[in-house]
Amino acid sequence: MTRLSLGKHGKAMEFLQPTTLAEAIEAKAAHPGAVPIAGGTDVMVEINFDMRRPGALLDLTRVPELTCWEQASGDGVVRLGAGVTYARLIAELGGLLPGLAMAARTVGSPQIRNRGTIGGNLGAASPAGDCHPVLLAAGAAVQAASVRGTRLIPVAEFFLAPKRNALHSDELITSVLVPRARGPQQFAKIGTRNAMVIAVCAFALELRPARVGSGDEGSVGTGIGSAGPTPLRAPAAEEFLAGVLADAGLWESAGPLPDPVLRRFAELAAAAARPIDDVRGTAAYRRHALAVLARRTLAWAWDSYRAGRGASRCG
Amino acid sequence: MSILGTRVLRTEDPRFLTAGGVYTADVALPGACHVQFVRSAVAHARIRAVDVSAALQAPGVIAAFTGADLGGLPLPSPVSRRISAEMAQPLLARDVVRYVGEPLAVVVTDAAYQGEDAADLVDVDHQMLPAVIDPEQAAAGASGLLFPGAGSNIAATFGDAAGLRPDLFDGCDVVVSRTIVNQRVAPAPMEARAAAATWDPGGRLTAWIPNQGAQDTRAALAAMLGIDPAQVRVITPDVGGAFGAKFGADPEHALVCWVARRLGRPARWAETRAENLVAMTHGRAQRQTVTIGGSRDGTVAAYRLEILQDAGAYPRFGAVLPAATILMAPGPYAFGRVEAVARSVVTNTTPVGAYRGAGRPEATAAVERAIDLFAAEIVMDPAEVRRKNLLPRFTEPHTTAFGAVYDSGDYPAALAKVLDAAGYSGLRDEQARRRAAGGAVQLGIGLSCYVEITGPGVEAGGPSENATVEIHPDGSATILTGTSPHGQGHATVWAMLASEELGIPLGEITMKWGDTDLVPEGGGTGGSRSLQQGGAAVQQAARELVSLARQRAARQLEASPADLVFDAGRSAFAVAGDPDISVPLTALAASERLAVRTVFRAPGPTFPFGAHLAVVEVDTETGKAVLRRVVTVDDAGTVINPTLAEGQRHGGIAQGAAQAFLEEFSYDADGNPLTTTFADYAFVSATEMPSFELADMATPTRYNPLGAKGIGEAATIGATPAVQNAIVDALAHLGVRHVDMPASPQRIWEALQAASVAGRAQQPQT
Ligand SMILES: Cc1cc2nc3c(=O)[nH]c(=O)nc-3n(C[C@H](O)[C@H](O)[C@H](O)COP(=O)(O)OP(=O)(O)OC[C@H]3O[C@@H](n4cnc5c(N)ncnc54)[C@H](O)[C@@H]3O)c2cc1C
Repeated sequence: MTRLSLGKHGKAMEFLQPTTLAEAIEAKAAHPGAVPIAGGTDVMVEINFDMRRPGALLDLTRVPELTCWEQASGDGVVRLGAGVTYARLIAELGGLLPGLAMAARTVGSPQIRNRGTIGGNLGAASPAGDCHPVLLAAGAAVQAASVRGTRLIPVAEFFLAPKRNALHSDELITSVLVPRARGPQQFAKIGTRNAMVIAVCAFALELRPARVGSGDEGSVGTGIGSAGPTPLRAPAAEEFLAGVLADAGLWESAGPLPDPVLRRFAELAAAAARPIDDVRGTAAYRRHALAVLARRTLAWAWDSYRAGRGASRCG
Repeated sequence: MSILGTRVLRTEDPRFLTAGGVYTADVALPGACHVQFVRSAVAHARIRAVDVSAALQAPGVIAAFTGADLGGLPLPSPVSRRISAEMAQPLLARDVVRYVGEPLAVVVTDAAYQGEDAADLVDVDHQMLPAVIDPEQAAAGASGLLFPGAGSNIAATFGDAAGLRPDLFDGCDVVVSRTIVNQRVAPAPMEARAAAATWDPGGRLTAWIPNQGAQDTRAALAAMLGIDPAQVRVITPDVGGAFGAKFGADPEHALVCWVARRLGRPARWAETRAENLVAMTHGRAQRQTVTIGGSRDGTVAAYRLEILQDAGAYPRFGAVLPAATILMAPGPYAFGRVEAVARSVVTNTTPVGAYRGAGRPEATAAVERAIDLFAAEIVMDPAEVRRKNLLPRFTEPHTTAFGAVYDSGDYPAALAKVLDAAGYSGLRDEQARRRAAGGAVQLGIGLSCYVEITGPGVEAGGPSENATVEIHPDGSATILTGTSPHGQGHATVWAMLASEELGIPLGEITMKWGDTDLVPEGGGTGGSRSLQQGGAAVQQAARELVSLARQRAARQLEASPADLVFDAGRSAFAVAGDPDISVPLTALAASERLAVRTVFRAPGPTFPFGAHLAVVEVDTETGKAVLRRVVTVDDAGTVINPTLAEGQRHGGIAQGAAQAFLEEFSYDADGNPLTTTFADYAFVSATEMPSFELADMATPTRYNPLGAKGIGEAATIGATPAVQNAIVDALAHLGVRHVDMPASPQRIWEALQAASVAGRAQQPQT
């Protein structure tokens, strides 16, 4: 591991550069105050604006274990290394994890997508992080490692408050376990600009169709971004929709979704939000826009489900 | 074949694209210390004490100064005689701070980063005063005065508000009135502000400052420092954009010079983006009440514009913007009766200055919205209402009710051309189909017609500019110009003009500007004046140079000057009928310095005009507007380089459109700026813009031999109302008559909500 001391006048900043995961974890245990840095697209902004002055930075970009992804055998889960960038999510994972690739396409600019990582998004734990709604909808889990061992944290339990996550001071995110898409996924976001913009609100949806004969009645996943102190799920909306789809035999028939179902789903999704007024938008607008996004993503997702089932367009 | 009118590529670009520019921050200044400004974190407060003692102990700190150290420096004089001297901004706040970002101390360090740290250690003891943010409240004065000594927050008034005619709208079938906001925006040039300064042992200052006119900057610096302008040399390095906000000099520039003198050591400063967004002057910031009246056949009989200008905390150029807005209030229209009045008020916000168009976009935005409000009220196609009210084509100057003298114009032709280029009736058909289908995404078509004023003179006299052209014995030539390019491409075009006259290839012509020792006089670049005055001066200088050379050639060839012909292809004079007896310009330059300095004087400003058409799609559920097409006619007279003119139009359209639906600099009620980074300030990006469709039209002016008018601001002026009108038009069938700028998704949704509530309220009770 390389160690550099940067700065003068006795106010040096340690710069730790582990080259293996084991070294990284040990370094984090030895320097619990060290701030991990991956793409740096959040960390460097904070340092530049003097919002934080860490005594040490822990550079994770030389840890090979963090930059790979793999499809774990059998269980249909994709293990994404924390250091996988948005550019790679788009280029390599559009098939397995379409929702995440969709979200990645909306992030920042090409430069930001080349540097920014999924682990950094989780580490920053901004309510506006674009990966978060998708990971919530997919029921992903964060794998954290420390010298004490590893643990899996369901994404729904990972976000504690604005910019606070469930990691302990000696832990690093090593990977994110994301079940591969079992049905249509969608992600939509509203911002004031098309690029380089923090979402005013965002919504992610996953449909997990029933598997005939398996006893699996199908389910629905949701995620809300930028409309609460943390990214949120909309459990009532999920249950409502899953119930309607199962009870009306819609998974089986692939019939059209009645308009009242779309609207009720949208209402319930919006009701789950806990937005505030800020410079980007009022709470009222966020709630409204979220309902629109929820209805649209559901309509798109259901259309693709039906298309996949060979249902006729006019159904 | 003439090189004029051709698409010569910018000769500036190879250097920018390979070696890179040399901006003020790149200027080598060995031994320079760094100046860091300590800026007010609160909008309005009495300063009880500024304690720099802790900062002085910080690493690398050489010195720290507060307003108390600046005794002896004069207070800057007001931008206009009508403004109270009480409202002058001291270089560093003394007793009171009046906006977030106002400089109140400086810390000087060896390295720039040390200054950032040390500035945090400066302790300011405040006694908070109520912040005056809303311009209406500022005008009323009820929430407090920024300058009690001035007796009022009103910095200036324009026109006679008490004398407004009560009968202005008599006889009108329809009168519509509405208050609309022309919001505050940030110029945000790519290069923020900077300065580097050094004094020679004789007490003469050399200052490198990105600016729009070195001579103006020299005058402003000298005034702030209380020294003779002859003691100041300003050098202009490459400048990364300005948009009006780099004219003259700001207190920060003068302070860097002052620090260098005080410490006897070169000093420099380069602003951060965050600093720039709160501390460079802002633009626009008008609240306008438009009233328009006429008959149901579409004729407008009367128009009134009442302006409330937010000047920010200290009256700068922004305080007098209404003068330009009033001058251009009726735009290209032949309204029977027009009135316009304005008040400028001070508020606890960043001072407002010039910003691309400076007063004219505000006039166009007001009248173009008014026309659409009127058209909606009488249910007539807005194109038709415009057609009915535009001034007819004129070739002799036309004097308006406000005394503007429009040099030449054909406004109906511009409108007809843009409608044709856009396929207007087809667009209306598509709009009708979409409305009938009732989908979420609706189509809006917006128009604007404009005329603007470019190249106005200064108070001291009519518009003029100087140029020097010199030919060297090696066949190269040098041009000195009083204009100050910062992205416009003068080096290319001035060389084209000289080459056309002299036959010297472009690559052999060097243009110099922006060094006050080299070019002591000059009007700089602003108000779209450069080509029509500075370019015309270059042409005139080159022609005078040919005359001078003719005299000398005649002497050398022992011929009569009248018997010589100038062969621009060979850059040589030859005896008529005997081309073998000739003398090239280079030979003449070798025997005696061959240079001419001349001043071109224009009879008056010129008035470019045009028409813009914008097509938007508005998602009526999310409220998001997407700009689909922008079709424009921007008639700036004769075009010398179409590529560069189009570049000005492209940038102008993007900047104007950005105001319509993206950008706004905003404050909370306590005067805290809310849009202090580009994450929150929705600065336009390429992804919001379609490809622009530019139609050509050229109505030459007779005010200069080139026939050229200004193009630098025209498209900004036309684009804003066209896009805003398009957004409102997309929602018109849903009862929306107006959406304030920027028409963000939220604003559009709120307008739709309000219209549907109003619509329900109007339905008959059952
Ligand atoms: C111009 C710009 C535009 C942006 N646009 C978007 C956008 O559209 N959508 C969006 O969601 N975000 C956006 N961001 C924010 C940022 O790019 C993302 O959050 C990105 O995912 C951060 O990843 P990174 O690798 O750069 O993180 P870093 O900055 O390196 O780290 C971010 C945080 O995570 C921690 N961290 C990083 N890796 C680990 C790890 N392995 N274990 C534990 N903690 C870790 C760091 O300590 C830090 O607290 C933008 C940022 C900028 C500057």
